[in-house]
Amino acid sequence: MNRFLKLVNFEFNRFLKLYLVLIGMTILLQMIGVILESRHYLSQVNQSIYKELMPKQQFLEQFGTFSFSNIAHSFWFMGPIALCIAALVIYVFFIWYRDWFGKNTFIYRLFMLPTSRLNVYMAKATVIFLCILGLVAVQLLLFPLENRIVKWMIPNEFLSVLSLNGITNIDYLTILYPSSFLEFILYYGGGMIAVFMVFTAILFERSFRIKGIIYGILYCAFSLFIFLAPLLVNTFLLKNYFYPLELFFMEIVTGLIVLAGAIWTGHYLLKNKVRV
Amino acid sequence: MIEVKNVTKRFGKKTVLKGISFTAEKGEITCLIGINGVGKTTIMKAIMALTPIDSGDILIDGEKIRKETYEKITFIPDAITMLPSMKISDAFTFMADFYGGWNQLRANELLQFFRLNEGDRISELSKGNTAKVNLLLGLSMDVDYILMDEPFSGIDIFSREQITEVFTSHLIEDRGVIITTHEINDIEHLIDKAVLIDNGVVIKEFNTEEVRENEGKSVVDVMREVYKG
Repeated sequence: MNRFLKLVNFEFNRFLKLYLVLIGMTILLQMIGVILESRHYLSQVNQSIYKELMPKQQFLEQFGTFSFSNIAHSFWFMGPIALCIAALVIYVFFIWYRDWFGKNTFIYRLFMLPTSRLNVYMAKATVIFLCILGLVAVQLLLFPLENRIVKWMIPNEFLSVLSLNGITNIDYLTILYPSSFLEFILYYGGGMIAVFMVFTAILFERSFRIKGIIYGILYCAFSLFIFLAPLLVNTFLLKNYFYPLELFFMEIVTGLIVLAGAIWTGHYLLKNKVRV
Repeated sequence: MIEVKNVTKRFGKKTVLKGISFTAEKGEITCLIGINGVGKTTIMKAIMALTPIDSGDILIDGEKIRKETYEKITFIPDAITMLPSMKISDAFTFMADFYGGWNQLRANELLQFFRLNEGDRISELSKGNTAKVNLLLGLSMDVDYILMDEPFSGIDIFSREQITEVFTSHLIEDRGVIITTHEINDIEHLIDKAVLIDNGVVIKEFNTEEVRENEGKSVVDVMREVYKG
């Protein structure tokens, strides 16, 4: 356990620089976005009301009030989120391949540690999970700050104030900030199962190289099939026999099966098949 | 004792090891000799469970390798296995964090002996100094067995002398060492046992002292006989 935590710490530190860049970039771009979007709206207000002398009422009917939703749908806001997601998806692969490639093959060291190789696997997965939660948390802290700036910049009569709850309910943000614990389990649990699956697929490739890519793809397809089996059976064989909640619990069970399969297979490959 | 018993290994259609068997005793320096591509590195990786074997057994003190075994045996590959971004002192911390058998006193001693600077970054070291750090990290472990893969490759003559000096010192004494090299001249007088490998099999395994005394032949003489005869 002790060595596991040391590995988590070690792996996290290896990602730290890039991670801080991601966080910094998110803060910077979103702040720029908040200011630009607000100013853009204000210039519309000035143009229409003060130059074209449009009545305020008509302006509000035509352009609507300004709300955080305007910002949340801007490139400046979604761009960094998409970039962070893309970076983490790439890092799911890179966290393994960086140990094999490059001048110093660090995987030798990792595999010669007097600890189970499964700890290396779990430590890498833990780091990915912590990084996801970290970014989501940073964004959550950013919302009130950004909201405050909006309130400063936009006069009250043109602003629909959104609460934090209101912000996290803006369409795509509800996936990042689910409103119930069950949904949280569903989205984040599902995401982590996918990470474990990809890890094991990577280990297939690292064990059998070119043939391993095929094994990895077959393994993923098989896992997905198991995971989706309740939905498939319900839709195609039973003509929607189950209640949504029943399906939900069956999905949890198949999800756990796939998760256990991924970890067990990963452990087996690490112990018996993997090559440096 | 490290026992390699009838080990076979294929890479795709090519069989690299065709039933390799030899033993390496504690307190002795065993040298695996063979031309490049003969599978010496593969044997070392197989002993460390860094690559799977197709058949055969490898036993370390009568047991198959377990995670605890890595406190008893260490492998010094031909390239350093630490992150280039680390300073030498970071590498020390890493080793101390993960290995119970890490011996910091010995590490300091070797640091002085090799005239290395703890604050240097691994990526900025010369080739020779990188090789010395690599060696240092392995030698500073309190282990019974050390595997070294080509410790002299690409190293200048003075560094080479320093490294051979290590072999005759208390740093090696009592331990079991398996070493691969194709520059046998440098260490011929140091090795206790030679294992000649060709074409995936052991063609001769002999005690260098005995052969020297009884037949008056050096390791190179025997190699000449075996490979050319």
